[in-house]
Amino acid sequence: MARSALLLLVALLLALVGAGCGGGDDDGGEAGDDGTPAAEGELSGTVTVWAMGAEGEELGVLAKDFMAANPGVEVKVTPIAWDVAHDKLLTSVAGNTTPDVSQMGTTWMGEFAKTGALAEVPEDISLDGTFEGARNTAIVDGTTYGVPWYVETRVLYYRTDIAEKAGITEPPATWDELKEMASAMKEKGGARYGISLSPNNWQEFMPFVWQNGGEGATEEGFSFDTPEVVEALEFYRSFFEEGLTSPSVPEGFAVEQGFLAGTHPMFFSGPWHMGLIEEQGGADIEGKWEVAPMPKKETGTSFVGGSDLVVFEGSENKDAAWAFVRYLLEPDVQQKWYTTVSALPSVESAWEQGELSTDERLALFGEQLKDAKSPPPIPKWEQVAAEVVNTELEKVAAGESSPEEGAEAMQQKAESIGTGG
Amino acid sequence: MTVGQGTVETRPAVPPRTAWARLGPHLTGWAFAAPFLVIFLVFLALPILASLVLSFTGFGLGNLRDWFSAEFVGLDNYTRLVDDEIFLKAARNTLVFVVFGVPVTIALGLLAALGLNRALGRLQGLFRVGYYLPVVTSIVAIAVIWRYLLHPDYGLVNALLGKFGFNPVNWLGESSTALGSIVALGVWRNFGFDMVIFLAALQGINPALIEAARVDGATSWQVFSRVTLPLLKPAILFLAIITSSGYLQLFEEPFVMTGGGPLNSTLSVSMYVYQGLSFGNYGYASAVAYTLFVAIVVLAVIQFRLLRSDETA
Repeated sequence: MARSALLLLVALLLALVGAGCGGGDDDGGEAGDDGTPAAEGELSGTVTVWAMGAEGEELGVLAKDFMAANPGVEVKVTPIAWDVAHDKLLTSVAGNTTPDVSQMGTTWMGEFAKTGALAEVPEDISLDGTFEGARNTAIVDGTTYGVPWYVETRVLYYRTDIAEKAGITEPPATWDELKEMASAMKEKGGARYGISLSPNNWQEFMPFVWQNGGEGATEEGFSFDTPEVVEALEFYRSFFEEGLTSPSVPEGFAVEQGFLAGTHPMFFSGPWHMGLIEEQGGADIEGKWEVAPMPKKETGTSFVGGSDLVVFEGSENKDAAWAFVRYLLEPDVQQKWYTTVSALPSVESAWEQGELSTDERLALFGEQLKDAKSPPPIPKWEQVAAEVVNTELEKVAAGESSPEEGAEAMQQKAESIGTGG
Repeated sequence: MTVGQGTVETRPAVPPRTAWARLGPHLTGWAFAAPFLVIFLVFLALPILASLVLSFTGFGLGNLRDWFSAEFVGLDNYTRLVDDEIFLKAARNTLVFVVFGVPVTIALGLLAALGLNRALGRLQGLFRVGYYLPVVTSIVAIAVIWRYLLHPDYGLVNALLGKFGFNPVNWLGESSTALGSIVALGVWRNFGFDMVIFLAALQGINPALIEAARVDGATSWQVFSRVTLPLLKPAILFLAIITSSGYLQLFEEPFVMTGGGPLNSTLSVSMYVYQGLSFGNYGYASAVAYTLFVAIVVLAVIQFRLLRSDETA
């Protein structure tokens, strides 16, 4: 039962042992891929790349193009499952068996920067053309440790048919309108709930804090005990108090099913839900739903996620590794990547062509990305998010503590964990 | 004499041979044991020892690349546990799971074994397999089915309760019922193992003893409580230790069913260790793991004392 935890520890320790035994020559022993510095202007050697999920399976396509342009370089892509990626990467850091390049979840950046295993992005790679919110995920303590590869952001999905039945034709532009719309959809639209909010998911809650001008957490420290956070908690809780959202989300609950059934006529989510809705709803759902930007309070800030690309300090072929990263950031390549795995480009200019510029729903994501941010890249964010924000949010949503108490508790507990920086 | 002296003189040349000869049979033994020994030492003993050392350090993410840089913090990790609200909650949940789960699991296992032991003919095999099936079924499959059973809207459990006029309960979504649901799942999943052990123990009881008790005029209850039950004591001791040490390490059930929620009401100590490791708090998580280990040992010792007492007397 505790086997998984033990296995994790064993893996970690084995990696440590391996590092001890391996000594100097532990780069996989590929023949002729290291040591010899690249000749002027010409790149050579092997670049190992780890990528997750569908990205890992499809990245070979781009790697092939890159190799055609750089015949001296061999790019080897290793696909890794998302659910083991975090541990595998940490283990490789401990064992000094890191790849040259890796895809990295945006919220992991703080942790991995802390291990000291990430190489600094060289000055000749400019990130000016990328979305600011995405770029910031890779900047830890003023140093840039990675580049944003692709992005996702959250917008409001809503059922237009139910809204019409409730007498609403425009998507909500403000917090008040969002609330009114949820009530109307429940009371007049015949939906079981007005919206689907998770009682314990910081990714859904933090945008409300940001929209209200609050921060919650920065690299300098925590600011949960502020009026902005209290007010956001108050607003979030009101949906639960008034029965506008389900009090709990069962494990394995898929919001698109509630959306298609009409029981949950609104929810916040990323671009992947467009495909899910079309796929599962088929012709029945066509013309009955739409996406809208985040409702505004002070701002309409959304959450930005996605993945960054990093090069490891232990890489013996950094030049070729960064060249590959630079290649992946080219607007045309970002375009191609979108058509391959539907990953939204992190480079703004890649949005000016093709489907990304013509599809209205997609373009809306592009707009939202200009006002989207992520939590600060602090090493302890994942722990603060799970143990503090999620837990205290759940207490407030359940009515076990007041918004003031919730904000106070978040601040206190987050401070006792610290930023880890 | 001279012959004797001669042999004494030649001895220095002989030892290598005799040493080899003496070591010979042992070597074979060691060779046979080696595969296990190596695996045991590398994969179990070393990590166990290393995590003991880790538990006295502040080993974290920053130490991964240079692990000797970890700071020695003495008993700090252990003293921190006392004030750690989440750990205390996890410990309480785990204790509840053990206190309610273990007796019920053993009792149900015994009951099922007693029933099966009264020859059911062909049906015996069917029931035996049926009760044992959950033990060998993948927890993921079990989780899917139980989530459906306990679903607040279309779950079978609520549908049945509804027939008797009860309101639907959100079993896994309410902090008041979630842990109870996990206990029920744990018992259902594990009592088949206890049943098989009891069945074997029951079949090992000499029928003459029961026959004799009957002839002496004992009622069925008396036969059970005075003859059968005392003879099952070794099996009960075995199961009490196995079941409670397994239950103290509760992990899979809440991991797949609730993720520890709602409001940490189903978080177990093992899950907390797992979380600590994935947050990079290796030192602290090791301290939690060792605390759990000590608890398991203490409980096992207590059970040995309690259940062995009259056997030695």
